[in-house]
Amino acid sequence: MQTKIVSKNFDIPHAEMLEVALQNGRYGSLEKLSTLKPQELIDLIKQSGLRGKGGGGAPAGVKWQLASDFEGTKYLVVNADESEPGTFKDRQILAKDPHLLIEGIICTCQAIGANISYIYVRGEYEEFSAILQRAIDEAYEKNILGIGSTYKVDITVHRGAGAYICGEKSALLESLEGNRGHPRLKPHSPEPEFYFGEPTLVNNVETIASVPFIVQNGAEAYRAYGTKESPGTLLFAMSGHVENPGVYEAEFGLGMWEYIQKLGGGVKKGKKLKAVIPGGASTPILPAHLVYEAKLDYESLRDLGSALGTGGMIVMDEDVSMVKALKNLLRFYRHESCGQCTPCREGTSWVDKTLDKFIAKTATHEDLEILKSVSRSMNGKTICVFAPAASSVIDGFLKHFESEFLECIV
Amino acid sequence: MSFAFTQENTIRMASLLNRYAQKKALSLPLLWLAQKQEGYISEEAMQYISEFLELPYMHIYGVATFYTMFRLQKGDKPIIEVCRTLSCELAGSEEIKKYLKENYSERYEIVEVECMGACSGAPMCTLDGKYFENITPEILDEVLNAD
Ligand SMILES: Cc1cc2nc3c(=O)[nH]c(=O)nc-3n(C[C@H](O)[C@H](O)[C@H](O)COP(=O)(O)O)c2cc1C
Ligand code: SF4
Ligand code: FES
Repeated sequence: MQTKIVSKNFDIPHAEMLEVALQNGRYGSLEKLSTLKPQELIDLIKQSGLRGKGGGGAPAGVKWQLASDFEGTKYLVVNADESEPGTFKDRQILAKDPHLLIEGIICTCQAIGANISYIYVRGEYEEFSAILQRAIDEAYEKNILGIGSTYKVDITVHRGAGAYICGEKSALLESLEGNRGHPRLKPHSPEPEFYFGEPTLVNNVETIASVPFIVQNGAEAYRAYGTKESPGTLLFAMSGHVENPGVYEAEFGLGMWEYIQKLGGGVKKGKKLKAVIPGGASTPILPAHLVYEAKLDYESLRDLGSALGTGGMIVMDEDVSMVKALKNLLRFYRHESCGQCTPCREGTSWVDKTLDKFIAKTATHEDLEILKSVSRSMNGKTICVFAPAASSVIDGFLKHFESEFLECIV
Repeated sequence: MSFAFTQENTIRMASLLNRYAQKKALSLPLLWLAQKQEGYISEEAMQYISEFLELPYMHIYGVATFYTMFRLQKGDKPIIEVCRTLSCELAGSEEIKKYLKENYSERYEIVEVECMGACSGAPMCTLDGKYFENITPEILDEVLNAD
């Protein structure tokens, strides 16, 4: 059931060492790279249908084009902030196959005309970041990176310092410029990101790690997996009440329930399924009857009123209190709001406090109305989509599990 | 009390300068370097960094206080972080936290943190930044008494 494109070398001992990586096909795409012009590379990625794997699913080729269309200095920034609850896939790449990421960076830099790349790694990942840094050092020694190499790419690992919001691309760039991680206002028309005023491409670790396969094997080889709109594979992650939590790569379009049963070993201790948060904490919850219908692709989950997000599934059994689960998530949002926008800063805090009354079973009908109206006020009125995401999470719980909230009303 | 980077860190600082388009980008890397050197970030260190980067002290202070991993107070105990987010809570992080607070708060500073990207190994904690996954009270006893 697994399809291993990105995770192919995960089980090979010491695949993080250059020698072993080379024996197992790493840097194999570079030969092909030398035969392709930058625009041909971008077209290849467009044809492959590769979509961003950091949560949004934006077509990667379109973003590459935006950055490439500018003259002069350009940057590639790899987003390894990975802080979305339920998500732990990028970490596998950093620690188990860092050379795949480096190879992807070289290909991507060549396509957009950049020589400088930063990998922004969340501060907590120090152990995994150290493995990545050793791989980079080895690549420099062997002239795969740097001034003596064919493509003259420089990679710098930049360490974050504990702030979920820095995963949002504009906040990440602010942080990389040496500022607080405050998201920027977005323009109305499509444009690349900017790092110190220079056009910049920001992609997720897994997106970049998917590039070498496409360069080496062609767009059709990638499209052979997945669905028409969601081609290829994703490192789906599973946690919560499953027998075998972990990261398993699979092509898009598989049934969610089948995936949970076959790869996750089903619900822990033979209990009944209650709900799944499908793609990281910021995606609306699916009750069991929708989980049985859901397919693991962008379109199916959107049609069910949720989103594929990062593909990090949190599985919950019949004993989970939905009131407590929502409280847990709102405490997270309250803690992680960057505080720039009033609806977000005040809204997350207000909902978090109101939920305490539900936990204590002292809530009133008015409190339920407060949850709903505060959630409405957080949607569409803020600088970034953090607050709308929190709002959709609240709405999802209330839509599917309102009865549990009503039971807490005196 | 004044602050200066060690010779090793001064060399590190110089090599960092080559990696970025503007000095300002060194704000986070230098705060990390100072924290590594002294165990926390002192006012003097922030003063030093702001002068070196030619930025107002308030800028560096603002950055240092925004990120949760920067420590502006000297602590005398090693830190245990316990993740409290959903996957860990579903796996019993509440009990782990209670167990740690009851048995180890004299020797360790116990801090609750949000999702650490280790949800398949829930419940999890870190000790001096190192990850420990699928923890139980027995495992904690073993790890914390292993010297
Ligand atoms: C609040 C918030 C947090 C985010 N966190 C991450 C993250 O940790 N990692 C990531 O790759 N993208 C994250 N994103 C998405 C990024 O903004 C951006 O879309 C992504 O890095 C682009 O890469 P991709 O197109 O390859 O997915 C986050 C977005 C938001 C709004
Ligand atoms: S929505 Fe929230 S996280 Fe996003 S910029 Fe506004 S306050 Fe910050
Ligand atoms: S929820 Fe604890 S590591 Fe993710």
